[in-house]
Amino acid sequence: MKQGFRDALRVLEDAGELRRIKKAVDPRHFSALAAQAKEATFFEAIEGYPSWRAAGALVSTRKRLALAMGCSEADIARRFEDGIRRPVDARLVSDGPCQEVVWQGDAVDLTAIPLPLMHVKDGGPYISATMVVSKDPEYGRNVGSYRLMYRTPRETGIDLVSSSDMRRYYQRALDAGRPLEIAVAVGVHPYEMLAASYKAPIDVDEYAIAGGLHGAPVDLVRCRTVDLEVPADAELVLEGELLPIGWTADEGPFGEFSHITGDVKWNPIFRVKCITHRRDPIFYMLQMPWENDWLAAPVIEAAGLQALRIASVEPVAIRAPVGGCCYWTLIASIRKRPGEGKNALLALLSVAEVKLAIVTDDDINIYDPDELDWAMTFRIQADHDVLIIPGARGKHIDPSVRAWSLGKGGLPTTAKLGIDATIPEGVPREQYERLRYFAKDAVRLEDYL
Amino acid sequence: MSPLAERLVADLRARPRHFAELVEAHTGVAWRDFLRAWGEVRGLEALGRDEQGRYVIAAPAG
Repeated sequence: MKQGFRDALRVLEDAGELRRIKKAVDPRHFSALAAQAKEATFFEAIEGYPSWRAAGALVSTRKRLALAMGCSEADIARRFEDGIRRPVDARLVSDGPCQEVVWQGDAVDLTAIPLPLMHVKDGGPYISATMVVSKDPEYGRNVGSYRLMYRTPRETGIDLVSSSDMRRYYQRALDAGRPLEIAVAVGVHPYEMLAASYKAPIDVDEYAIAGGLHGAPVDLVRCRTVDLEVPADAELVLEGELLPIGWTADEGPFGEFSHITGDVKWNPIFRVKCITHRRDPIFYMLQMPWENDWLAAPVIEAAGLQALRIASVEPVAIRAPVGGCCYWTLIASIRKRPGEGKNALLALLSVAEVKLAIVTDDDINIYDPDELDWAMTFRIQADHDVLIIPGARGKHIDPSVRAWSLGKGGLPTTAKLGIDATIPEGVPREQYERLRYFAKDAVRLEDYL
Repeated sequence: MSPLAERLVADLRARPRHFAELVEAHTGVAWRDFLRAWGEVRGLEALGRDEQGRYVIAAPAG
C-alpha cells in the first residue's frame, strides 16, 4: 500500500528519529530550531496558526533517508533504481484529504499558512518542500520541485532559472502569450519528493516513478481551478498560474543546497487562485541545505551506477558524500579489470555537474573516511592516477566558477578532477595485504577483564 | 497602507535592508501581520534590490 507523509513521520518516530516540540513556536524560528535538533522536528503548536502543525528536516541525514526509503544506508541508490525501473501508473480518485478545506476567491491568503523565514539573507519566507505539477499540450504532465518565495497574500516568486522541463513548458506558454497553470503539493512522502527531484525524460511521468518507489499507484485528485492532478494525500495544495511576464521579478537570495547564500535571481511570478488543505494540516518545511542534499543523493548515486554500467564497469558501492552536497562528488568502489579505474572516472565525471570523482577497489569500504584516505595514500601516484578535465559544464552556485564575471545569461564552466585510488596496474595485490593479529580468533578480551 | 507597511517603507528609505533585518526591527509584530504588511509594500511596485540582494525603495512609493 502506498505510504503518505504521515506514514514517513511515523516511521521516523518509531526509530527514535523524530523530536516532538510541544511549546508553541513562531514560524520565524522553525528553521533555527530544526537546525539544533539531532532528529527530524515536529512542531505540535504554532503561534498565530492554531489549526496548523509543522514538520521539518525529515530526511536531513542518510540514516533518515534510508529509514524513509525502507532500506539500508548503502542501498539507497539501488532502491531508487528499482523504483525508476518499475514505474507504476498513478490512479485518479474522486476525492482526497488534500481537499477537505478549500479557499477560493477572496479567501485565498498565503499569510494564513505558517510560512517559515529560514536564513538571514533570504529574500522572504520560503515554501521549500514543493512538488510542482504542470502540463504542456504536446509533452504532457511534468512534476518537479521548485522553491517559492512569499511576495503577497496571493503571489509568490518561483525559481525557474535552471534548465528543466517546466522551464521549457513555461517558455512555450510565454511564447504563446498565455500563463502556465501549475499546482503545488506540499507535505507528500519522500518518495514523491525524490521523483520530483529526478530529471526524468520529458515523456516519463514522475508520478509513475513515485508509484514505482512505493510499489503502488499514487492516488491523484483533480485540482479545483486548474486542469492538473495532485497527490490526494498531500497536506496542502496551491493552485494557480505562472504569469506570462518572463524572468522579470526579483526572487532570492535563498540558502542554497550548496550551503551558501545564492544571488538575487530574476524569475516569473506564481499567482495563487485556490488553496486546499487537510482539515488538520501539517506544513512541511524542507530544511536547507541538508534535506535538499540528501534528496539529491539517491538520484546522483543511481546516475553514477548507470554511468558505470554503460561504461561496462562493475560497481560494488557508490556514495555521494554530504561534503560535496550529495551532488558535486561521487565515490565508487568497483570490481576492476586493467584500465577500468580510469574508465570508471570518465563515467562518473560525465554525471550532471559532478566535479570530483574517486574510484577504489572493492576491498575498500567507501563509507569509512579512514579507509578511503588509506587507499588514496597508498594506491595513488599523482602523475599517473589523477585526471583533470578542463572546461566542462559548471553550475552557477559554485563560487569557484566565478559566475558573477560572466554577465547576464552566461553559463559557467568548471574543471573536473578524477582520482583513481585503485591498485595500480603492475602492483601485485599482495603488496596491500593488511595486518592480521596473531591469535585474533583464539583469545577474547572479555575473558581478561 | 497600514501603519506597519508605512514603517517598513520608512525603514527601507533610511537604508537598504535584508528581509530578515526588517523582521528583526519589528519582532513584536505577529508574523501574519508582518506578512500582510510586506504584501502591501510589495504591492506598491516600488521595491528594488542593491548589489548585495538587500531591498531598497527604487521608485516613488505611497
